Amino acid sequence: MSRKSVFGLDRRVFVTGLASFFASLAVFSRQSQAKSSEIRFGLTPVFLTSDLELLGRLQTYLGRTTSVPVNLITRRTYQEIVALLISRQIDAAWICGYPYVMHETELQMVAVPRWRGRPLYQSYLIVDADRRAENLADLKGDVHAFSDPDSNSGFLVTRAALAEAHARPETFFERTFFTYGHRNVIRAVASGLATSGSVDGYVYEVVAELEPELTARTRIVRRSEWLGFPPIAAPRVAVDNQNLARLSAALLNMSEDMEGRAILAMLRLDGFAREEADLFDTIAAKAATVALQG
Amino acid sequence: MRPSLDPRHWPVTLKVPLAVAALMVLVGVVLSERVLSRLDDTQERHLRELTQSYLDGLSSAVAPSILRDDIWEVFDAIERAQQLNKSLRPVEAIVANADNRVIVASDPRAHPVGAMVSSSIVAATGRETFRFDSGADRAHARRDLAYPGRKVGTIYASFDTRHLAIERQDVLTALILTNGVLTFLLATAGWLLVARMMRPIRILSDHLGSARETDVAPIAPDIVATSRGEFGRLFQSYNTLVQSTAERQELSKRLAEEERLGSLGRLASALAHEINNPLGGLFNALATVKSHGHIETVRVGSLGLLERGLIGIRDVVRTTLALYRTDDSRRNLLAADIDDLGLLVAPEARRRGINVTIVNSLDNSIPLPSTPIRQAVLNLLLNAVAASPEGSTVALSAAVADRRLLMEVRDRGPGLPGDAAALLTGAADARPLNGGGGLGLWMTHRLLVDLGATIYVDHPEEAGTCVHVTVPFACDEELAHVA
Repeated sequence: MSRKSVFGLDRRVFVTGLASFFASLAVFSRQSQAKSSEIRFGLTPVFLTSDLELLGRLQTYLGRTTSVPVNLITRRTYQEIVALLISRQIDAAWICGYPYVMHETELQMVAVPRWRGRPLYQSYLIVDADRRAENLADLKGDVHAFSDPDSNSGFLVTRAALAEAHARPETFFERTFFTYGHRNVIRAVASGLATSGSVDGYVYEVVAELEPELTARTRIVRRSEWLGFPPIAAPRVAVDNQNLARLSAALLNMSEDMEGRAILAMLRLDGFAREEADLFDTIAAKAATVALQG
Repeated sequence: MRPSLDPRHWPVTLKVPLAVAALMVLVGVVLSERVLSRLDDTQERHLRELTQSYLDGLSSAVAPSILRDDIWEVFDAIERAQQLNKSLRPVEAIVANADNRVIVASDPRAHPVGAMVSSSIVAATGRETFRFDSGADRAHARRDLAYPGRKVGTIYASFDTRHLAIERQDVLTALILTNGVLTFLLATAGWLLVARMMRPIRILSDHLGSARETDVAPIAPDIVATSRGEFGRLFQSYNTLVQSTAERQELSKRLAEEERLGSLGRLASALAHEINNPLGGLFNALATVKSHGHIETVRVGSLGLLERGLIGIRDVVRTTLALYRTDDSRRNLLAADIDDLGLLVAPEARRRGINVTIVNSLDNSIPLPSTPIRQAVLNLLLNAVAASPEGSTVALSAAVADRRLLMEVRDRGPGLPGDAAALLTGAADARPLNGGGGLGLWMTHRLLVDLGATIYVDHPEEAGTCVHVTVPFACDEELAHVA
């Protein structure tokens, strides 16, 4: 096979391929341009998504600072948002550390919120305020409320702690159920529907501040070690780099803006910052422990 | 008028307001019952509709979650339904599975997940799917969940209905107050109306009542003048009646006076007769003395005759004087008064050939007025003498027993006729005018009755009549009144 012929043949192929590549590139570019008219930002119940005023102000702030209309996408479960993120149907999403470490190869970190000066939070085990329980072992046979199967603080931490004790939630507890919201875990325990629950410590503290009568009916039995705060992640191959850069800048500079500070005040956060990926190593270790148990 | 416990004796002015009040209470009870019944119906219908809407929403929200065994979603749906239907005031909702075990309840502490639904809750609605008892604090509802066609569970819900009970109580209180005030007002109006309507009747009644005690008085002309209609005519009729009664009384008085004068005339005639009888003999004796006075025996005999004749006249005059003397009419009855009666009746008895016997067992003064008793008994004796056949005996007896004067006049005549006896005893309101006679007997009756006496006419078997008179001793006041 001569090089020329090969080249000639290849050239036709190459030219055709090149043409199709540029054509496709043009199409992709148009698509990309069409997409760039909107930033799709996914939200999970890692914070109080029930606060519509907060969502409205966040949408307005992001829209103003990125100069692109922002569409906030909310779903019932973490899984749905993570699926949208991995399949690149949304630009970015505020997800939990657990799905982040599980899909680390497909995701990139955009920013991590700072709470009380650190990008860290805890998971709480809560019970009824009047109940005498000191540790996880005392909760055996409970009706236990988890937040979400893809939540670190609302599932993985307790699941890993049980795995370390060679126990499984379905056998250790009489019954478990998912409420798909940290506030719902607090409601379930406060109402008596669940006798104990795993909840995001940050959400619990914010709820304690906003609705003290709700958390007053619960008591914290155990606080986990400090863990990486739920990050804002984007697909490793960004849907639109420009939009992602704008979104990232809007988040990182939120504390510099008056409206941004108001939103941060509502979220009880200090701001957003870039963090190293090893922030989530402890969570990854817990995930590994659980995976090891099978 | 003294109040009585027997309603038949109550005055009309009390009966009518009470009847009005009773009727109003009855009407009030019936109306209140109808209003409350209607209110109950409305409350129940309203509550039932709200409950159905609540259960419709809740069942459609929880049914898919039940199939997925998602207890949080069921709980959340219940909480949302409770929040959305606040006007219905849901107290409790329990979602149970087909085996009646609790899937989720609005209060998980009271009804833990997996526990059996208590039988009291299952039975709360009975066979119905909804139950609300008026006035109760709770309403209960039940809804079976079929998905699709298969029973997957049941919703038991209860609702706070205290506000409905309070509303019902308020309505009842308002009804009672309104009816009470209306009843009181109408009863008062009834009382005023009846009192006003009964005023003429009371005037008439007062006049009739006073007529029993004193003389009949006519109703004052100004009252008659102001009264119209049937009461005006009634007053006029009453006054006419009073006038005619007064006229009759006046007539009776005049007749009695005439009778008294008549008796006086008869007495004067008898007296003249008593004096005239010996007078012929006395003039004969005087003529004999004039012509043969020189003869000793004739003179002595004639003078004796004269003396006896004058003594007889003196006795007659003296007795008459004693009987009709008016200055001592209040004098007590003495035994001598009874004896005097014999003297008084003697001339008439002699004229008719009747023997009069007197058994007088009185011994001292009797506390009874002498004049009316002597007049009455004299009348009885004269009657007896007049009725007796010639040669028979008329007997008078007088005695005192048990502070009563007992007198008896007995004759052998044909017997006192029934109507005459009735006049004497005062039976059946007999009047002396009917036959034009018997005034003497009627007057005797009046005299004795005024003294409080009882008269009894007896007809002994051996023929004749016996009149018994019993006069109780009276106290001084009554004596004075009678006198």
